[in-house]
Amino acid sequence: MRPPSACSARGCAHQRPSAAPLTPPRPSRSALAQRRAAPSLPALIATHRAGAAPALPANRGRRAFLGPCGAEPGAAVMAAAMRRLLRAGGRRGAALVVAAGGARSQTLRLIYTTTAAWKKNVAASGPEKYTEAFIKKQIEEFNLGKRHLANMMGEDPETFTQEDIDRAIAYLFPSGLFDKRARPMMKHPTEIFPEQRKIQWGEDGRPFHFLFYTGKQSYYSLMHDTYEKLLNVQKHQDQMAAQDLPPQKEKKNLVGSRWLTKTELEEMLLEKLSDDDYSRFIQLLQKLVTSPCGNIEENYIKKFSREISAQLQKVVIEPLKHDDRGVAFSTGEGERKTSRATVIVYDNGTGKITVNGIDVLHYFPVLQDREQLLFPFQFLDRVGKHDMVCTVSGGGRSSQAGAIRLASAKALRSFVTEKEVEFMRQAGLLTVDPRVKERKKPGQEGARRKFTWKKR
Amino acid sequence: CCSGSHLLVLIERSLPSLLGAEEVRLSNQTIWSLTVCNLPSQANHTEHHEGRHYSIPLEEVKAVFPHGLPYRFQQQVKTFNEACLMVRKPALELFTYLKNSNFAHPAVRYVIYGERGTGKTMTLCHVVHYCARQGWLVLHIPDAHLWVKNCKELMQSSYKKERLDQPLQASSWLKNFKTSNEHFLKEIKTQQKYVWGKRESTEQGRPLGEVVEQGLARVRSASDAVGVVLKEIKQQCHLGSFRVLVAVDGVNALWGRTTLKKEDKSPVSPEELTLVYNLRKMMMNNWNGGAIVTTLSQTGSLFKPSSAYLPHELLGKEGFDALDPFVPVLVPNYSQREFESCYHYYLHRKWLQHEQARTEAGKEELRFLSGSNPQQLERLAGPL
Repeated sequence: MRPPSACSARGCAHQRPSAAPLTPPRPSRSALAQRRAAPSLPALIATHRAGAAPALPANRGRRAFLGPCGAEPGAAVMAAAMRRLLRAGGRRGAALVVAAGGARSQTLRLIYTTTAAWKKNVAASGPEKYTEAFIKKQIEEFNLGKRHLANMMGEDPETFTQEDIDRAIAYLFPSGLFDKRARPMMKHPTEIFPEQRKIQWGEDGRPFHFLFYTGKQSYYSLMHDTYEKLLNVQKHQDQMAAQDLPPQKEKKNLVGSRWLTKTELEEMLLEKLSDDDYSRFIQLLQKLVTSPCGNIEENYIKKFSREISAQLQKVVIEPLKHDDRGVAFSTGEGERKTSRATVIVYDNGTGKITVNGIDVLHYFPVLQDREQLLFPFQFLDRVGKHDMVCTVSGGGRSSQAGAIRLASAKALRSFVTEKEVEFMRQAGLLTVDPRVKERKKPGQEGARRKFTWKKR
Repeated sequence: CCSGSHLLVLIERSLPSLLGAEEVRLSNQTIWSLTVCNLPSQANHTEHHEGRHYSIPLEEVKAVFPHGLPYRFQQQVKTFNEACLMVRKPALELFTYLKNSNFAHPAVRYVIYGERGTGKTMTLCHVVHYCARQGWLVLHIPDAHLWVKNCKELMQSSYKKERLDQPLQASSWLKNFKTSNEHFLKEIKTQQKYVWGKRESTEQGRPLGEVVEQGLARVRSASDAVGVVLKEIKQQCHLGSFRVLVAVDGVNALWGRTTLKKEDKSPVSPEELTLVYNLRKMMMNNWNGGAIVTTLSQTGSLFKPSSAYLPHELLGKEGFDALDPFVPVLVPNYSQREFESCYHYYLHRKWLQHEQARTEAGKEELRFLSGSNPQQLERLAGPL
């Protein structure tokens, strides 16, 4: 049985093989449970957070008995005696026995440590590091799994795109979870496992990059490159000025684009930045862009800018339709909570309103509901001028009134100028009310109400 | 002021065109005089006066309507210190019928019906006042529903064993009847002797007033007194010396169900009540020399859905068959003109205090929210 290396306390460059203790470790309950729960399927299908490397069963309360490295026979007897002593002793203070001195006299020295020293500090080790071989293996497994999935779905494995994969997974593993990121997904390993930097130095310990010892090598190299471009531009500008040529006036339109955000830049450089660093970089880019001959370096600048897609979708207002009698009318739909309403608003009317075939006074006996129906018309000063025929279903009396109000406001858009439509929008007549019934939580009586608190 | 009234009539004829034009801003005063002004309560309200209010002097109100006006209207009378009724089409219709009715024929029954709050009771009161002015004997039962529910004392009738008496309701009705028809009570004489108990009796030929006094004094026999009054009037009205108007509000109560229970908790049907039984006899058209004007009412009715307002829904089969050849009179919500008139009345009486209520936009808002329903408008205008 190989004793574990004694130099675990000092940092070593080589990876420690999984330490095998002297005594075969009694698998603890948690280890057993983990072995049982270990997924039998390949770890292709993973949730976002886990990105699991195969889990190592953790052995608790492992007693590390260190014996002297290369112990001589005489010392071995002593070591055995020590072991017996230590086994008899408690769990807490596991004593390390370390061989000190040279090759000739091996004196055993007792060093007392606590479990905290030899227990693996998960937090301090930082994010999980994936080796290149591991990632490669994942990619192979992914491709294989993709082909299997295509076969399962009866599609052609060659032309199986990522969208097809998503659809297939959603079909095979339907999930009712609200958060899309919590649902089962199968994506290329590069999307799941975050990019990690390779080792920055060679076999001899010498770093590859010349700015390694600044600590932020990618950032400073980026600044260096950008400044180089700036100098280029200035040189070009001087040349143009010397030749008395006017500076080029084609300015890149900055309106539809934005610079990279700090997080995006960090992802690109694979190292942390401070706010100050980021702002300095952006200032440099700005200077580059705004200088007269900045167009030369357009390609370089494009790497650091993103397009802002036009988010405003102009809502199309339908034109008025005319029915058999020649009366202009328009339809609208509205909803509130669980009610859905459709409304037809006719022109040249007297203010008569029919809901589900019933007169409005009978359907909405409460004044508050009728006030809700009145609101769009009153806002546009068209109170007695339109007739309305509505159909509404679902919800209660108040939500039905709200749904009809929204529907009638939408229908009235066709009768009214754009400016008034904008006024209506600002008044909130055209916005769907997002409030719905809040979910009841376990441990509480309702959505917010807690159970009665009893002192004892 | 003949010429004045002619002028008014001329202006009224051109009024619809004026009202149609939106640009014409009539001052409130002109509007008041043209559309709303208090007409003298003459007997001849014609179509020209439709939509306008006329006022009844307060003493007359006390005399003619000891009971019968709706509660909210009574409050309004007290607030405004005047009683103003609007002249509406159903009432005018009834006046024409009454004017042209032949009193030799059996009494015609008119049933005023309509949705809730449209003014059926007010129409009935208008008719009652009209007939009272003309000198008819008015038998006005303010709400027949009060006789079939919430009765604290039910007694077994001494006259007939299986019937039940309601002394409180009967005595209150007799009291009001006395106030409204004082002079008739002296004229009409009994045609038969009535024995009330061991010691009380009314001889033949005594004025009806004595029967009424008897009923008021001995409350136990009040229901029988009511029955006697009704019988006498029915027997004598064909002689022609006076006309009888039987005005019943909520006539569907007479043929519905009651919420009363006998001592053994079995339900009481309306025939078993003396008052209802006698009134039903009155409602039959086997007498002449008068008219029967009734109103259907869902508001006080028992076991009827709130959306019911048509005669066959509210009367039920029994009632419909009993009332069968009747003239239905529908009372609708306010028309444009009537709404304007009511609005201006409130404005004139300074009832609408809110600044926005006085604007055109406010009027439209009121029209929309009330749906031109008189009751809704009245309730809306209250807080303003």
